[in-house]
Amino acid sequence: MVRSGFVTPELDTRWFDPARLNVLIGILLFTAFLVVNIFRARAKGTLYVRPIAGLKALDEAIGRATEMGRPVLYVPGLSDMSEVGTFAAITICARLAYRVAEMGCDIDVPCYDPVVMTVLDGAVREAYSKAGKPDAFRPGCVHYVSAQQMAYVAAVNGFMLRELPAANIYMGSFYAESLLLAETGARTGAIQIAGTDKVTQLPFFVCACDYTLLGEELFAASAYLGREPIQLATVIAQDWAKALAAAAIVGALVLSALGHPALQTWLKVA
Amino acid sequence: MRRGPLLLTFLSGAAIAALFFIPHYKAQAANSMLLEWTLVVYAFALILGSISLWNSHARKVRNRAEGWGFSVVTLVSLLAITALGVWKGVGEGTPVDWIYNTVNSPLASTMFALLAFVIASAAFRAFRARSVEATLLLVTAIVMMIGRVSIGELISHRLPGITEWLLDVPNLAAKRAIAIGVGLGAVSTALKIILGIERSYLGRS
Repeated sequence: MVRSGFVTPELDTRWFDPARLNVLIGILLFTAFLVVNIFRARAKGTLYVRPIAGLKALDEAIGRATEMGRPVLYVPGLSDMSEVGTFAAITICARLAYRVAEMGCDIDVPCYDPVVMTVLDGAVREAYSKAGKPDAFRPGCVHYVSAQQMAYVAAVNGFMLRELPAANIYMGSFYAESLLLAETGARTGAIQIAGTDKVTQLPFFVCACDYTLLGEELFAASAYLGREPIQLATVIAQDWAKALAAAAIVGALVLSALGHPALQTWLKVA
Repeated sequence: MRRGPLLLTFLSGAAIAALFFIPHYKAQAANSMLLEWTLVVYAFALILGSISLWNSHARKVRNRAEGWGFSVVTLVSLLAITALGVWKGVGEGTPVDWIYNTVNSPLASTMFALLAFVIASAAFRAFRARSVEATLLLVTAIVMMIGRVSIGELISHRLPGITEWLLDVPNLAAKRAIAIGVGLGAVSTALKIILGIERSYLGRS
């Protein structure tokens, strides 16, 4: 088998890289799980997804903000549209904005990336329209701050200390700024809910926030909040794929221990 | 009305996913070109971002909102840096480069340095032994902190080994489990967007 790394890209004339066959099979299996679960969801009308404490607390956070007459701060992470975590942050923001509009409280979304800002502005505006309150949308509630990490942190921390939001929601991809943001938020006494796909930042959020969505929970959040059967089907498909991945890892481990490392070698991504 | 954007998303997503499996040089050249297009989109979005920044701070100044003086500084800085960048350029030795190195970088470093203090305050809150889990975290943290400094080896020659084991076995196992979940979640989200199941990112219809 020719591995991708051994061929100079300029001279490569192959139309398929056989070293990536395992990835293709994995994606096809995942798509099959997705299709099966969509049919199951359509047949049953609903699917059970275990409760996620951080997401259940979102309503509590919005309710608290409404009662206190203070805004909800939504921080959509510091990545651009090439990160799937940013897409998750956008979909959660749209669902959250819908609840905010329903309950009649205010939301502020400071953005790090101008493309993300443009997309979020449309998503939040649409959420207000869906909630039947298009006039309640405050132009400028989704706004650009800076594309520099620490300048962004300074601006958002300043907002927290001046405006004292009742709830701070951090969703998306975060880096070194995670603790600076979450710790300032904790000092203001706001209820804090975080979710990130960056494993290295999770401990900081766990320490400084009331609720934290760990890794995959960030991606399940949009489906969980929407409660639409087809969306929930994607979460179940994700669980099936996880069970398959665990079985493959255990199988590869046992086979390797017995002197047959073929499965372990095949599972490696080129 | 959303059929167009949904079709475009499907075609772009499917094409980029397919290009991952096609090593042909022409396909990879197309891949590079598609990625370069994102820079063009970013440049246009940056104009929208600057307008948003201007509007946001101008509103604060107009309404004399709390901290409006800082907004004046932001607006003056935005205008001055833009004017200097257009007039003198942004290369090495230009006024913009000088301002970046003498104002922006030290300010960013100062903010970054605050991390040391917030780590201490977050650790103080997290390490209070209120429950079994918090106590376990406290004990592990103490072992880790002592084991990673030179005094740890003086207390017990086994401490550095214990810290290495904590990092390489239980810690790594948990990190990898989360990483697998993140990977599958990312694939799931990507498929939802490509197949049009998730549409909230489309915004206004």
